[in-house]
Amino acid sequence: MRGVRPVVEVVRLGLVSYPEAVRLQQVYVDRHRHQSGPAHALLLCQHPPVYTTGLRQAPYPAALLDRLRLLGAAVHRTNRGGLITFHGPGQLVCYPVLHLAGFKKSVRWYVCELEKTIVSVCSRFGIEASTSPHTGVWVGDNKICAIGIHCGRYITSHGLALNCNTDMSWFGHIVPCGIEGKGVTSLSAELQRDVSVEEAIPHLLDAFGERFDCRLTDAQTEPDSGGSSA
Amino acid sequence: MAACGLFRSLSSNFFTVLPLLTRSVPRSPLRLASTPYFGRTLATSSRLSAALKFTDKHEWIRVEDDGIGTVGISKFAQEALGDVVYCGLPEVGTQLAQQDEFGALESVKAASELYSPLTGEVVEVNTLLADNPGLVNKSCYKDGWLMKMTIGNPKELDALMDEAAYERYIRSIED
Repeated sequence: MRGVRPVVEVVRLGLVSYPEAVRLQQVYVDRHRHQSGPAHALLLCQHPPVYTTGLRQAPYPAALLDRLRLLGAAVHRTNRGGLITFHGPGQLVCYPVLHLAGFKKSVRWYVCELEKTIVSVCSRFGIEASTSPHTGVWVGDNKICAIGIHCGRYITSHGLALNCNTDMSWFGHIVPCGIEGKGVTSLSAELQRDVSVEEAIPHLLDAFGERFDCRLTDAQTEPDSGGSSA
Repeated sequence: MAACGLFRSLSSNFFTVLPLLTRSVPRSPLRLASTPYFGRTLATSSRLSAALKFTDKHEWIRVEDDGIGTVGISKFAQEALGDVVYCGLPEVGTQLAQQDEFGALESVKAASELYSPLTGEVVEVNTLLADNPGLVNKSCYKDGWLMKMTIGNPKELDALMDEAAYERYIRSIED
């Protein structure tokens, strides 16, 4: 229906393991496939320390992944785009499971809008972030948010990871996203004060709703109740 | 070469292709659209465009003389993806049913699935794409082909769109 903003259900998962988040995303992906009418969802979570790789597996042989496991992190291969990255407590992980038919059927557009959403979140914190030929959101030469998605039959999964007060030392063991010579940063590092995931979430939801011109509803409330985004 | 001219027009704009066909053969556009293998009756240079069929997921398949189908993605698809940086393609010998996922293309940190236009067996994959994945963007109908497969059930071709139908389909999506 033209002119009607799509509804996106916000699902707050809290701290969940990576495999559990993958399983839950599949539930929402399947919901798109099996029900008529829109079923967009936005999953929010944090992960215990985990390194993940994407579609391109060749740069990451088993031996390398085993060395990362010895650090005490989980390691998982995935089918998303992008190279190796780290997820851990203090990092806001967001998995939009959208059907692009309800928005725009272009993966390039979708990724660009995700980047703009995060640039907007940073701006709300007074941080000047930018995009570059390398997908992701940067503050100068340091990446503040990683993006890596998967799209099948126009249904998206995986998503973005915004560093709030993540322990950045975990990134020291990898070349994040395969980009040599660049660093990583977080909202806390940029603002020199503690910025938690909880503080960042409302800004992310606001920016997402604005950027994607959609109505966010909370999974706990009825869709008609006005959809609080806080 | 006339064939090169045709490739260029394929990669730039569908609308230039149909006029070429009507010029070379005295048939009405309607009859052209309804004949599946009309490629055989046209000049050699136009067989390539004549045999292209499209899926609603923007893959194309071109039936070659030997009955093998060459598969790729359309100009619309490569534009929607952005710059392709990696092609995940199947092993030779893989059996595919129509609409089976057969691989994925990576662009802008997004992995997008590819779906088989027909039922058949993978007989070749484009090894040039390993070092030059950008061919999918630069030459999606020619050098950026993805794989070749046998055609297990030729009737499945009937369900695919010809170029004119695909053009209409694209326009309906963009509205």
